[in-house]
Amino acid sequence: MYGGGNIFEASRFDNLAQEDPEKLAEFEARIARGEKIEPSDWMPALYRKQLIRMIEQHAHSEIIGALPEGTWITRAPGFQRKMALMAKVQDEVGHAQLLYSAAETLGKPREQMMQDLINGRSKYSNIFNYPAFTWADSTIISWLVDAGAIVNQLANSKGSYGPYCRALERICAEESFHLKYGHHAVIHLATGTKIQREMVQEALNRWWPPMMHFFGPPDKVSVHTEVLTKWKVKMATNDECRQQFLDMYVPKIWELELTIPDSNLKKNSQTRQWEYSEPDWEEFKRVINGDGPCNKERLAVRRTAEERGRWVREALLTPEAKYVTPLA
Amino acid sequence: MVFDSLDPRINRLNLHLQRQEEYKSVSLDQLPTYEVFLQLKPDKEYQHAGIVHAATPDTAFLFAKEQFSRRYTCTGMWVVSSSCVWVTQCMELEESIYDHLPDDLHETKESMSAYDIFHLYQRGKQHKHAGKLMASGHGDAVIRAKQQLDQGKPVLNIWSVKTSDVRTTGKEDLEIWSTLPQKSHREVISYRAGEKLKLFKEKKHGPPAK
Ligand SMILES: [Fe+2]
Ligand SMILES: [Fe+2]
Repeated sequence: MYGGGNIFEASRFDNLAQEDPEKLAEFEARIARGEKIEPSDWMPALYRKQLIRMIEQHAHSEIIGALPEGTWITRAPGFQRKMALMAKVQDEVGHAQLLYSAAETLGKPREQMMQDLINGRSKYSNIFNYPAFTWADSTIISWLVDAGAIVNQLANSKGSYGPYCRALERICAEESFHLKYGHHAVIHLATGTKIQREMVQEALNRWWPPMMHFFGPPDKVSVHTEVLTKWKVKMATNDECRQQFLDMYVPKIWELELTIPDSNLKKNSQTRQWEYSEPDWEEFKRVINGDGPCNKERLAVRRTAEERGRWVREALLTPEAKYVTPLA
Repeated sequence: MVFDSLDPRINRLNLHLQRQEEYKSVSLDQLPTYEVFLQLKPDKEYQHAGIVHAATPDTAFLFAKEQFSRRYTCTGMWVVSSSCVWVTQCMELEESIYDHLPDDLHETKESMSAYDIFHLYQRGKQHKHAGKLMASGHGDAVIRAKQQLDQGKPVLNIWSVKTSDVRTTGKEDLEIWSTLPQKSHREVISYRAGEKLKLFKEKKHGPPAK
C-alpha cells in the first residue's frame, strides 16, 4: 500500500543545463521510445534524485503501513481471517524489501534510508499516521487503502525505471489478493448484523477524510512536473488518481448501503468528474509534518525493531562482508 | 484526539515516544546484498528475481525463499553475493554487447574454473541464465561466451558469476518449500463474495428485473 501525492512537493528545480546535452537527448529519446532505464545507464541527477525520493517513500509506506493492520492479527475474528491478515502483512513487508532494493540500485544504501525514516527526514504515506480502532478499521484499510495504493502502483508500473517497474509488477500481483480479501471482509460486516453494520460504517467515516488526502493535494503544474512527466517518473496527477479511485470504489461502497461522510460527493454527469468537499489540506500538512495521532509511535516501533535486532545482525556479519550497490 | 496507543508493542514494551537523540545506522547494519535467481519449472532457465539483504549465503537462501517463492514454489533457487557478480555496460536497443566487448578482456593467470553467464535481452526484463562454461576469469568467460552462448539475438547486458560463488539448491533444501502446502488463504480465488452481495441486494430491493 502506498499513497503518492506528498512526493513532488516543492523541491528546487535542478538546472538541467548542467547535464551533458548529448547524453540527455539520448536518455530522453530512449524514454520516448518506451524503453526502460537500467541502473548502469547514464541518467540526469534530477531523475536519480526524484526516483530515490519516490521509491524510498513508497518503501517506507509499506513497512509503516504494516503497523496499523499488524496490531489486529492477534485479535482477528477467527483462524481464516488471522491467516489472511498475516499473509497480507507479510506481503506488505515484502513489498518494502522489494522497493528498498529498487531504490538502492540508484545508489542510496538501505542504512541511510532507515536512518532518514526514523529521524523523520523522509516521509511515508500520511494515512498510516491514523489509528485502527476496531476490526472494521482493519478491513477498511485492506479494502480501500489498498485500492488507492493499486491505483497509484499501476500508474507507476508503467514508468521508465526498470528496477522499480519490476518490483511493482510483483507487488501489483499480490495487491489483488489484498483488495479481494479486504472487500470480502467488508462485505461480511456490511451484510451482517446491525452491530456489524454500525461498526463498518463508523470505520468508513473515520477513514474517508484520510482517504481523500491519500493522493495528495492537486498538483501545481510547474516546469518541474512537466520534466518528470516527460521522463515517466510522474505517471498521473494526484487528481487523476483520486478521480479514478472515486470512480471505481464509490459505487461499490454505495451498493453496500453504506454512506460516505461527504454530502457534496456526486458525479457531475456533464464533466464526468466527481465533485466533493475539498479535504482539509491544513490537517494533511500538519500530520505529514509529524503532528498526527500516531506519527510518534509508528517511528518508535520501527526504531525499537532496528535497535533490538542490531546485535543479531552484528553477530551474523562476517568480517569479509562488504557493501556493493545491488544490480537490478 | 487523545487516546492510549492501539499498538500492543507501545503499551507492553513501554516504548518512549519522545526520544530526542538522532538514530544512527552504521555501514552494513542492514547487511550486504545477494542476487536471487529462480527456476520456475524444471526445464526453464534460471532468471533473476531480485535481491535480499543477508549476512551469509545460507541465510540469504532462506530469506530469498520467503521473499520470492512463498506464494508459488519453484524448482530451484540460486543466491550469489552482489559483490561476486561481474557486469558489462548496458547496450542500446538492437545492439549486442557481444559486438562491443572492450579490448581489455584478456586471459588471466587464474586456473580454469566454471562460470555462469546471464543475459539481458530486453530492457525492463530480468536477466536469464544463458549457460555455463569453463574460463580463467570473468573477462575470459565473456570472450568464450561470445563463441559458445551468443545466438545472434542481441544481448544488452551480461553478468558473469563464478560457479563456486553460487549457493545452489541441494536435495536437502527442497523441504523448505513444503512447510505449508495449503496456501489458498493467499489467493484471490478464496475471497469470492458475489453471492453474499447478491442476496443482500435482493433482500433490500427484491430480485433484479428481468
Ligand atoms: Fe497491500
Ligand atoms: Fe503493498
